[in-house]
Amino acid sequence: MSPLIQYMINQGVPQETLILLLMLPIVATIIAFSRQIIGIRGFGIYTPLIIAFAFLATGLKYGLVFFITIILVGTLTRLFIRKFRLLYLPRMAIALTAVALAILIIIHLGAYTQKTGLITSSIFAILIMITLVEKFLATQIEKGGKGAIFVTIETLILSIICYFVASWSLLQVFVLEHPFLVIFLAVVINIFLGKWTGLRLSEYFRFRKVIKDIELPKKKRLGKI
Amino acid sequence: MFDFFEKSHQILGMNARILAYMRPSNSLRAIRIADNKLIAKKILKKNGLPVAQTHSIIKNIHELKNFDWTSLPNTFTLKPNRGLGGEGILIVYARRKRYPYPWIKADKKIVEIKDLESHILNILEGTYSLTNLPDIAFFEERIRLLKLFKPYSYRGIPDIRILIYNSVPIMAELRLPTKESSGKANLHLGGIGTGIDMGTGITTTAIQKDRIIEYVPGTRLPLRGIQIPEWKEILRLAIHAQQITKIGFLGIDIAIDREKGPVILELNTRPGLSIQIANMFPLNERLRRVKGLKVKTINKGVKIAQDLFGGEIEEELEEISGRKVIGINEPIEILDADKIKHQTMAKVDTGAYRTTICSSLAKELGINQAIGQKKVRSALGMEEREIISLSFYMDKRLVTSDAFIADRSEMKYDIIVGRRDLKRFLVDPAKNVFMRQPKQIK
Repeated sequence: MSPLIQYMINQGVPQETLILLLMLPIVATIIAFSRQIIGIRGFGIYTPLIIAFAFLATGLKYGLVFFITIILVGTLTRLFIRKFRLLYLPRMAIALTAVALAILIIIHLGAYTQKTGLITSSIFAILIMITLVEKFLATQIEKGGKGAIFVTIETLILSIICYFVASWSLLQVFVLEHPFLVIFLAVVINIFLGKWTGLRLSEYFRFRKVIKDIELPKKKRLGKI
Repeated sequence: MFDFFEKSHQILGMNARILAYMRPSNSLRAIRIADNKLIAKKILKKNGLPVAQTHSIIKNIHELKNFDWTSLPNTFTLKPNRGLGGEGILIVYARRKRYPYPWIKADKKIVEIKDLESHILNILEGTYSLTNLPDIAFFEERIRLLKLFKPYSYRGIPDIRILIYNSVPIMAELRLPTKESSGKANLHLGGIGTGIDMGTGITTTAIQKDRIIEYVPGTRLPLRGIQIPEWKEILRLAIHAQQITKIGFLGIDIAIDREKGPVILELNTRPGLSIQIANMFPLNERLRRVKGLKVKTINKGVKIAQDLFGGEIEEELEEISGRKVIGINEPIEILDADKIKHQTMAKVDTGAYRTTICSSLAKELGINQAIGQKKVRSALGMEEREIISLSFYMDKRLVTSDAFIADRSEMKYDIIVGRRDLKRFLVDPAKNVFMRQPKQIK
């Protein structure tokens, strides 16, 4: 363990705090990589990152339960109150209220069936996920249902990958041992990503027909005789 | 596979679009102009470019409360000032004559003042704006659909997207509204994009949702081969607009009004990349060729674009017909007795049946052994000409032929190529390549 980290832990800083802080650059880099190199559209960097950390706090199983409930209830509420032609913020407030109610019911069910993992889930993680409803609903308005579902699924997959990386115990030990190496590498990799002008993986697929059609200037064209 | 990656360097991707073109070419000021429809219109109008006329502007709720609804015409478009990708645009086509005099949308739904009010409120709130910041709503004259485009469009106005860089139009695309896109010409909403041959303004490949299609959905109406009217004028407008706004890397949307002709609809600093699929051609090479050019006049820009990037139609014609398109004057390579190539210029003469070569040239190449004779009737009367066997390459194709020899020393071309040897070619008299080149034999 790095002497600095050792000192902090000895002084009573929770190990969890340090791990999460040092995982942040790694997770952020994974998200940047998936956007620039792979071409996952996602919701910027904040949403997948915060979902991944919320999963860390609640555990993947209950995290997914909360996530899916939030999206479903939020979307249904939006569709239901659409006819009333309300303004944007009140509309969102109603959607949030409905989601809060749904979470309340889930926790109640958890209490009833005595699922301790569920009822002791960190409320802040749940709150953060609830507030993401605004992002998801705004995307639905902007991109239409199909596009929004696609982006949501992409974001969810990305978050789950980030969750597994951040909860990987070997990596957790590693970041505590080499905190500065992690930070240094994150900066270097992101400078590279920020200057990367190559095609994204998804673009190879998107433009595959055009690419096949390209004639390289050096080679002679084969005439059809 | 390796080839695939090498070829893929020609495609302009999102990363390179931002780093290599948008950042260096588009200043913040330029982006602000493009993202603000009213300012863009004002600047373009001041410089005499055609834009849709603005009826009235509503800046805030107070103005909405005091708005004089009677001032609205029977047909108009309601738009958010900073709308993104065609969102939040409301179009009405007519007005009922009975109380409460509602307007009618393309799908026959009626629009009353209270509907307009709530739509404008949403716009003012920023529901449709780029960053969800409060926005301005404005009423604009509705562009009237050109008859030509009527069968191709579903309840909306098609527009022509021209990607323009450094005062040269790079690539163009006709965007057609469809049922899927609910009458909007935006590709990501499901509109059809059709590539346009830069030289002629004729449509080529068509795509919908990044997939190639041949016909207007649900019909047998081909999307290929539509001639865009006033093509040169449209290119000229695009270049002019770029020079005024100084947006270096610009996607410009131009619609054609039934009476006014081409009208600039919108400027776009983040033009979509699927134009490459619609044209079946990558952007990188074209952009590189135009980079650093000094284009002084608008006409020069049009000419460069048409000369450099036109010709897809010809290639396509060659592909469909399996024949090469040649002009009236073509460089050919004649094979001499030792099968060595000699370059010269030939005249393509569809009026003559047989190819004729100058006797002195035939002698020089050592191919003047007659294999037969034939009587020909010409303006000078009957004449007997010798026939030799002749092989030559025209547009990279080998033609073996029996040709006449005649004294052509007084003529401009040593050889004319007749119908007999033109069966594998299409002759385009407009493709006149080298008029003044002196005849030569290397």
